[in-house]
Amino acid sequence: MNTLIQLIFGLLAALIVGSAVMVVSVRNVIHAALWLIACFFGVGALYLLLEAEFIAVAQVLVYVGAISILILFAIMLTRESEGARYMVSGWRLVVTAIVCVALFGAVLVPTIFTHTWNVPPPPVATPGSPAPPEVLAGVEDLGRGFVFSYMLQFQVAGVLLTVALIGAIVIAFEERARRRRVLTLAEEHEVRKRQKPARPPVTGERIPSPQAAPMSDGEQG
Amino acid sequence: MYDIIDALVNSTLGFGWPSWLISLLGYVLVATLLFAVAPFQMLFFTYYERRAIARMQDRIGPNRVGPEGIFQPVADGVKMFTKEDIVPDAADKWVHLLAPIVVVAPTMFMFAVLPWGPGMVPVDLNTGLLFFFAISSISAVGLMMAGWASNNKFALLGAMRAVAQMVSYEIPAVLSLLAIVMITGTLSVVSLINAQGGLFISTNDVAGIPDLGLGWLIFTPVGLLAFICFFIAALAEGERTPFDIPEADSEIVAGYMTEYSGMKFGLFYLAQYILNFLLCAIASVIFFGGWQGPGVGWLYGMAISPINPDGSWIFNLLAGMLGVFYFLAKTYFFFFVMIWIRGAYPRLRVDQLMDFGWKFLIPLTLVNVFSAAIWVAVTNWGVAEGFGLVEGWSPMLRWGVAFVTTLVLNGAAYVIVARIYNSAQVARNRLDVDELREILALPR
Repeated sequence: MNTLIQLIFGLLAALIVGSAVMVVSVRNVIHAALWLIACFFGVGALYLLLEAEFIAVAQVLVYVGAISILILFAIMLTRESEGARYMVSGWRLVVTAIVCVALFGAVLVPTIFTHTWNVPPPPVATPGSPAPPEVLAGVEDLGRGFVFSYMLQFQVAGVLLTVALIGAIVIAFEERARRRRVLTLAEEHEVRKRQKPARPPVTGERIPSPQAAPMSDGEQG
Repeated sequence: MYDIIDALVNSTLGFGWPSWLISLLGYVLVATLLFAVAPFQMLFFTYYERRAIARMQDRIGPNRVGPEGIFQPVADGVKMFTKEDIVPDAADKWVHLLAPIVVVAPTMFMFAVLPWGPGMVPVDLNTGLLFFFAISSISAVGLMMAGWASNNKFALLGAMRAVAQMVSYEIPAVLSLLAIVMITGTLSVVSLINAQGGLFISTNDVAGIPDLGLGWLIFTPVGLLAFICFFIAALAEGERTPFDIPEADSEIVAGYMTEYSGMKFGLFYLAQYILNFLLCAIASVIFFGGWQGPGVGWLYGMAISPINPDGSWIFNLLAGMLGVFYFLAKTYFFFFVMIWIRGAYPRLRVDQLMDFGWKFLIPLTLVNVFSAAIWVAVTNWGVAEGFGLVEGWSPMLRWGVAFVTTLVLNGAAYVIVARIYNSAQVARNRLDVDELREILALPR
């Protein structure tokens, strides 16, 4: 069973690292976003392998289901997808690489040196004994953590998200008076029909028959 | 499944296979069974929908292929398979190919936690309910891929609409589930069903109630409001008619499916009907007790189960059959309601859709979460939780107080929110008309 878990872990790690490399190396921004989704999904599967069911499901729900959609939306609505000119090259590439590696190292090196490795796995539940308690993965433990030990952090995160939400509304809000209303076809037709008598006929042009009126108007405007 | 295969292989035939092989065999068998069942549900649903909608529109519907047209879906399937698969020149080939797969795969995943009958669930995850909705949100990525890769403006418009709709309506769906999760105190689909035994009052709340399998959550005010909000959100998520703007064929051809043909189109179609089946099924599981019904609990009590290993297999069969019957009856009824709504209501506009989701459903579901908290406090809490007021009351009195309080709260919330929403819509329409008048008055 242990080798099987090792094998699955290896495959997942390859998926995560491979797709993460693809994210930064493909030229098309949309493709990069899709690879990023694959990476998120791999991380979710990794949580599942650690038997942290709730975190795995939350990862899929939040990252794959919501954040990646927002990323895709943002890319599609703001810039063209052929992003060759957004590629970094030359000395900027070197600087970027150094900064990224340094940040990654800042996270990884302390972990490698201070973490206790080779922790024995928890005893496997036998049918007779009561099931061993879930350490961090349980929904109830997480909930208790949020409302007891980490109350302040939880509240601060909540306030931050609310502020972001209000900010988004303020940015996106358009005053009604300034908004140009898009007319439906029927309304446009109505507008033209009402304006027809008011407009003096253009000299030298064939006066359109009543049926063809909207059509010829459309050609003028 | 593990028990049955273990009994068959090791006890009856005496092969002595290791347990991991039997587990694997069990999962493979269940998965195969589900992959066979899902397309048949889809075939049946297309036929069902076409016949039912035809009745409502005073037509007959498909009635030529086979008796009463029952083989029509098979004929359609053959047609799909034999059509040419066209990929547009300007399309992004790989993304175009992957999109239908990304749309279909999550719907198949969702079957993993769906209980069909007593003891008949592929995997009983601790977070089953959340898993179901997390997985269903993946298909939005597939829709986005389809819309973008087709390189067609209708496809992109359709995808944008579909994703905006899914993201907006996921919130009321999950919030209404949150109320249910608070009441039952579990995220597992199986324990959710087990909590719904009883007779109009769940055995969870009052212990002495006779267990007729009718303690459905729909009989509580919290469950009722949650069900209404959830079902509307499910209509939006399954792209059923009042909310079918992503594929509004009179406006944007077929939405994100515009550039798909042959079996790739068929896969989108398949995903949609399976998703509808799953949404109806999960609605019946959460609010109407799934396989719970008169007789199932009694039969299952005498069957082979983890609690009762020396039961009789005949009761397994009977309880399973009755449970699946109740479950499918409820599911098909909900699909009928979906068809009914399709026959009755016109399509919403995009802005109406967003208004309805954000300004009507979300406030209601938030109030419902509050009611659920009150429900839990009154029925389950005591001195230990700092709510000593209800300590001395009998379970029946507690249930009654909780029922009345939440009923009043939810009813008042509904009336107030509906009134505000209505007046906002009226004011908005009046502004629209004023604006139109101004436009009419302007010289061109």
